[in-house]
Amino acid sequence: MLPDLWRYRDLVAGLVATELKVKYRGSALGFLWSLLSPLALIVIYTVAFRYIARIQIDRFSLFLVSGILPWAFFASSATSSTQSLMVNASLLKKVYFPRAIVPASTVLFQFVQLVLALTVFLPFVFAIRGGVPWSMALYPAVLTLQVVFVLGVALALSVLTVAFRDLRHLTEVGLTMLFWLTPIVYPLSMVPDALRPLFALNPMTAFVSAYQDIAYWGRAPAAGGFAAMAAWAATSLAAGWLVFRWRAPSLVEDL
Amino acid sequence: MKTPAAIEVRGVWKRFILRHNRVETLKDRVLATFDPRRRERREWFWALQDVSLEVRQGETLGLIGPNGSGKSTLLRLIARTLFPTRGEIAVRGRVSPMLEVGVGFHLELTGQENVYLNGSLLGLPRREIERLYPSIVAFAELEDFIDVPVKNYSSGMQARLGFAVAAHLNPDVLVIDEGLSVGDEAFQRKCQERMAAFRAEGKTIMFVSHNLRAVSALCDRVCLLVRGRVVAVGPPPEVIPRYEALSAAVRSGVADRILGPELGPRRRRLARERQGDPAARTP
Ligand SMILES: Nc1ncnc2c1ncn2[C@@H]1O[C@H](COP(=O)(O)OP(=O)(O)OP(=O)(O)O)[C@@H](O)[C@H]1O
Ligand SMILES: [Mg+2]
Repeated sequence: MLPDLWRYRDLVAGLVATELKVKYRGSALGFLWSLLSPLALIVIYTVAFRYIARIQIDRFSLFLVSGILPWAFFASSATSSTQSLMVNASLLKKVYFPRAIVPASTVLFQFVQLVLALTVFLPFVFAIRGGVPWSMALYPAVLTLQVVFVLGVALALSVLTVAFRDLRHLTEVGLTMLFWLTPIVYPLSMVPDALRPLFALNPMTAFVSAYQDIAYWGRAPAAGGFAAMAAWAATSLAAGWLVFRWRAPSLVEDL
Repeated sequence: MKTPAAIEVRGVWKRFILRHNRVETLKDRVLATFDPRRRERREWFWALQDVSLEVRQGETLGLIGPNGSGKSTLLRLIARTLFPTRGEIAVRGRVSPMLEVGVGFHLELTGQENVYLNGSLLGLPRREIERLYPSIVAFAELEDFIDVPVKNYSSGMQARLGFAVAAHLNPDVLVIDEGLSVGDEAFQRKCQERMAAFRAEGKTIMFVSHNLRAVSALCDRVCLLVRGRVVAVGPPPEVIPRYEALSAAVRSGVADRILGPELGPRRRRLARERQGDPAARTP
């Protein structure tokens, strides 16, 4: 798939640009809107959990930022991948090109938004924190593993939604539940032992905890954390690719 | 000397699965396991049956036939957006398809953005599209509308842009499905001239149309497709009268006697039996 992405890079760029134009048409500050929703969440959750539910954690909003941006990348990629093939139906019906380019472009678009959000929010985190922790050197590695993981999810969801149109709503509901079962607004250490196995089954626990280790605590994630992320990424990509390859040939007949 | 084939279609069959009472959601899928009435009924439909066809390089081939005879399906197979169930298709060179009016455009994008997107869809480098862009807009005569979203175009305007893009992106093989029928008189003329120029350049064209006059004016050979089978291939003066005779037979209701039943009760029952449908046993 990677060689395809490279050979069709103009198309990938075109599809990413299309998504950008369709989403932010008419607003010159386009991308800035994509910063508004994480900002709003950060403010609201800080008020709710720091000052009302009184979660005991230093500089709560910094903790929140380090987990919520990667979560938003995952969640919006999953949601928009369910629509990606339908939105581009007219292109898919017209010309042959490797079909996986469509969900991959969706993930790439969300990735660009994540990078933009990171370049805006992280400097604040480090300014308040007083310096960049050395563990930030591990950030690209975790990010890469997460992109692979998200790509697998996007591949599977994109083709499965063509067969089952209500998967989009199920995905949205599922993401809402998963959000509260991921240690984003509270640290994993607060989770009671009885619930730990449930959290271990949630792939986003591994990723979010690693991001918090790196950006908030300023320490390297445990080796087990890296192993878990690598396993989730590999499983997701393999499964997503198999599902995609199984459905892709008859995709256009169902669109 | 025989020129090499640009398009080779060898023994191609295409099966669609007609999904009556189609189950489109997980909810319905779950309900269907409890309630057999909600289950979807699948039926095979052979849209193309043993089609073999060769289009030589530099040749213009017209494809004619009644509605639903499989013309668009065949073009889609050649454009590789569908895969044959059986058989093989080989195409030499880059195909520039214009399948159905307006299809291939992103309705939210402007005309200009769509030209660029379509170019990259066909694998053209950006610089090449930049070079061709002015001639595309000029050909479509849409200078005043090129910055407007395509959703605000009339269907004729979409067809203009579609043909202009397909015809200017330097294809080796041009595949056109009814593209011209919604264009006005002047534009249809212009397109036919453009296709004639293509022909003179030695490019290959495959062209579906219900406009028999245009077909006989433009094509070297014509293929008549009826109910998914090739009925005749040959020069226009031979094949077009056969189509006209067929149309007359359809009008007077004797077509089934000539062609055999299309998807008669027996084939329908056999298809259902293959799918294991209990309803198949009651004739
Ligand atoms: N995705 C699909 N699923 C099921 N059946 C299909 C599908 N696409 C086409 N068909 C069936 O295949 C047959 C051939 O359709 P096709 O579009 O090729 O006809 P056509 O010759 O282009 O007709 P027209 O002159 O109306 O354009 C039709 O009976 C149609 O119902
Ligand atoms: Mg058709």
